[in-house]
Amino acid sequence: MSGEHTSTPVAARVRRLEARLTEAGVVTEEQLDAALAAMLAGASPVNGARIVARAWTDPGFRERLLADANAALPEVGLSMAGGIQEQRLKVVANTATTHHVLVCTLCSCYPIGLLGPSPSWYKSEAYRSRVVREPRAVLAEFGLELPADTTITVWDSSAESRYMVLPRRPEGTEGRSEAELAALVTREGLIGTAAV
Amino acid sequence: MSRVNDVGGQAGFGALEIEADEPPFHADWEARVFALNSVLVRNGVYRLDQFRDAVERMAPQEYLAASYYERWLHAIETLLAERGLLGDG
Amino acid sequence: MADFRAGERVRVRAVDPEGHTRVPRYVRGQVGRIVECQGRWALADECAAGVAAPRVEPVYTVAFAARDLWGEGGHEVTVDLWESYIERVREDGA
Repeated sequence: MSGEHTSTPVAARVRRLEARLTEAGVVTEEQLDAALAAMLAGASPVNGARIVARAWTDPGFRERLLADANAALPEVGLSMAGGIQEQRLKVVANTATTHHVLVCTLCSCYPIGLLGPSPSWYKSEAYRSRVVREPRAVLAEFGLELPADTTITVWDSSAESRYMVLPRRPEGTEGRSEAELAALVTREGLIGTAAV
Repeated sequence: MSRVNDVGGQAGFGALEIEADEPPFHADWEARVFALNSVLVRNGVYRLDQFRDAVERMAPQEYLAASYYERWLHAIETLLAERGLLGDG
Repeated sequence: MADFRAGERVRVRAVDPEGHTRVPRYVRGQVGRIVECQGRWALADECAAGVAAPRVEPVYTVAFAARDLWGEGGHEVTVDLWESYIERVREDGA
């Protein structure tokens, strides 16, 4: 990670680059500001949580979501469109005997719109190298200990599909509203490094 | 040739560093780099695949020592230079 | 349309391209099982090389047993692979 002592020269370098490109008309300030604003406003694990809460309470939606997530997303007011090219979303459901966890070993691909900006650990060489090799040990570093008979599947997003985990609904949550259920879901649950 | 980014299964990277309540960007310049890349791809200056390629073409020592958005900045500068868009520098 | 069907065993071609590719080193030459076809997408290698009209090919989710990849482990790893990255495993396993 970049230390504080390198941030000033780099900041100046970025400002110069931006100035040069806007002067040359390659980009405009408005485009830059809009791109940043769109990401900060639109990208959040709150979106993924909303999908999960609906899937927990509506079995038909859950089935449609697992069969074709892109088609199901508009039912909760979300969409994978809006980028340069619509990406395919694949939702994988944890069960009593299977647990899923996501990675992009080659870079850091991940559905930012539904999960929010990716955490540094997800982008790190430590995570990308180890989760495919020793997922149980990596999950334990997150405090997630899975039973010995739970099968783990690690999904490496090496192409144009983006993945999201559908965690299991926690016990003792019967009767809660969708909003209350959504509040239980964390970004780590959507990546698979937490139970929910 | 396998490149430095292709780390699946590779040893030696150690324990995870998990930062609680991490902000989307650790400095303003990272956010500007994010925005620059987004707009450059959208404006057709280069493709996302070319951007990934440019990150991967970093010298291994540089890649590993660089932070995530330092890699992005390096790739953007590489691609712009290759397209003659950086001027006299 | 898609050449490989769910459940089929495929081998990842043991290629070592010069440029950008999306075959992780850890699955090259390995045999896995087709999970599903993800649709058709422009080949990343050609997009990165600046080919004006890149090949569009089916992309498959292929599952590999950890035991096959690393010699140990009970988990599975899936990788998303363009069709030209993989080949059929013959009846005799070759």
